[in-house]
Amino acid sequence: MTQALSPLLDEDQARFICGGVSISAAACRGAGLPSMARATGCRVAADKRSITILLSATASAGLIDDVRRNGAIAVVFSLPADHRTLQFKGGDARVVPLEPGDEALAERYVDAFAGGLAPLGYPTQVIRSVLACRADDLTAINFTPSAGFLQTPGPDAGNALRSGA
Amino acid sequence: MKIKLDAIRACLDGAIPGTIATCSPDGTPNMAYLSQVQYVDAGHVALSYQFFNTTRRNILANPHARVAVIDPETGAHYRLSLQYLRTEQEGPLFEKMKAKLAGIASHTGMAGVFRLLGADIYRVLDIERVPGETLPPPPPRAHLLAALRASAEQLCLCTDLDSLLAQTLTCLEIHFDVHHAMVLMLDAPNARLYTVASRGYTQSGVGSEIALGDGVIGVAAREGTPIRIGHFAAEYSYTLAIRDNLQRSGLAPQLETEIPLPGLPGSRSQLAVPIRAGQRVLGILYVESPQDLRFGYDDEDALVSLAGGLGAAIQLLQHAPVDAAERSASASPAAKPGPAPEAGPVLEVRHYAENDSIFLDGRYLIKGVAGAILWALLNDFAASGRTAFSNRELRLDPRIRLPDISDNLEARLILLGRRLVEHQAPIRIDKTGRGCFELRIERPLALLHTPHGV
Repeated sequence: MTQALSPLLDEDQARFICGGVSISAAACRGAGLPSMARATGCRVAADKRSITILLSATASAGLIDDVRRNGAIAVVFSLPADHRTLQFKGGDARVVPLEPGDEALAERYVDAFAGGLAPLGYPTQVIRSVLACRADDLTAINFTPSAGFLQTPGPDAGNALRSGA
Repeated sequence: MKIKLDAIRACLDGAIPGTIATCSPDGTPNMAYLSQVQYVDAGHVALSYQFFNTTRRNILANPHARVAVIDPETGAHYRLSLQYLRTEQEGPLFEKMKAKLAGIASHTGMAGVFRLLGADIYRVLDIERVPGETLPPPPPRAHLLAALRASAEQLCLCTDLDSLLAQTLTCLEIHFDVHHAMVLMLDAPNARLYTVASRGYTQSGVGSEIALGDGVIGVAAREGTPIRIGHFAAEYSYTLAIRDNLQRSGLAPQLETEIPLPGLPGSRSQLAVPIRAGQRVLGILYVESPQDLRFGYDDEDALVSLAGGLGAAIQLLQHAPVDAAERSASASPAAKPGPAPEAGPVLEVRHYAENDSIFLDGRYLIKGVAGAILWALLNDFAASGRTAFSNRELRLDPRIRLPDISDNLEARLILLGRRLVEHQAPIRIDKTGRGCFELRIERPLALLHTPHGV
């Protein structure tokens, strides 16, 4: 049925999550401790039906482990300059092979994110070192967003995004 | 726990926002940004509860959460495994977080959006260092333990309250690299704090007052807890607190009895630490800086320790044995008439009984207990030419009406002495020994009294 609906992500949201935003992912195993990791780049499929995030395999080991077990994932995207924040969740997350250009995408992402933080007075060297990821350590997780939420602080925070109509 | 929570407190001041991962009972993960992670003690942190959101729903159903924090100087990245315990909606921790959140909200353009509903207390189960690159830590601004030791050694040598306060402010400058500081004493029955010493302001502001509960200083005194803000927060700033004070005070504004609080115009970082004697709050040691995030957890620790020593020293000095000079002054109060007043125009000294305010030639000098003290001294001088006085007799003098038996009379006298000097008044009080002083009058006086309701 899902395939019959239009994608959850619209053009603007797809552009937003692929821009210089902070990206963090969570997964969990039953009702135990959740796992979490920072991502270092994002791409959206041409049909906007799936999101792929790039991560350091070493720094995301726990998250990758949980995703492999049950496929549940939540990824939050936030722009520090105005706090616009979106969260997407999916139940079919899986580790996928890197695509050509992913390494360059991760580099561009770090530049865009750090570049956006500099005028806000954030220590960009620190951000760069947090997001630094060796090419051979880069990995990718792909999922179909089945739910999306507006999480910008304010009265509308938590509202579900329009699901495909 | 291999990594101690104490060791990563620099990550908790919100320079880089933390994130929290939670999980619903049906196994759906959730991720959210955190405005604030507050260090509570070696085994607990508190997170700000601002909205009833998915994170909140999740932790109430499944108390396990993970929080990621980053050291803003080195980029070291940690994950804390947490277990939710309870929520506090009032009290010192809540107020501490509320004040800090106000700074964060204002700094991030979220004033009016961020509002603290509660302080969620979590047990820290584990801390994990996330593998990754880090930068070398910058050299510390000051070695705080060495600064504390040097200060403690110097404060020990002070033999009266005046020099103790001055030395404290000097130590802050020299050893802690803190250049804007003040000490306020608490007048508990009147629920006010009054400034008794300051350093680094264009106006000393000695004698200025702030209501208990107003601004960083007032909240710290009311809650008996250090309050630390890393960014400018309008609701905790003094300009506003002063305006509120003015509006609230029933005093006729035409009397102009407000001394402006000293304050840094571009203040961004503020830290107010209670000065205690045992459980009792005596006053507040307050420091501020034009830099964002100038004072961290370590600075707070150091200043709490410094204020601890200061409180003990104030208490000791208050109960120190009196000098021989005081005994003789008390034994024969009228025995030492001072020199005759200098010639010159008559100084009009007006006293308003309503609030014990004193005006010299129409200019406001002081009010309250210090005003009552001066009025009593001047009346004794006018009646008998007496100039030698002791603290002990003042403490018992019914005209002065100290608000509290434990009130620090010496602090009131310091305040009075400073105001006379700053006013360039032809009246001075000079210390002649521990617990005794001399009144020096340089012009003829005309004492005018305005009773209540006039």
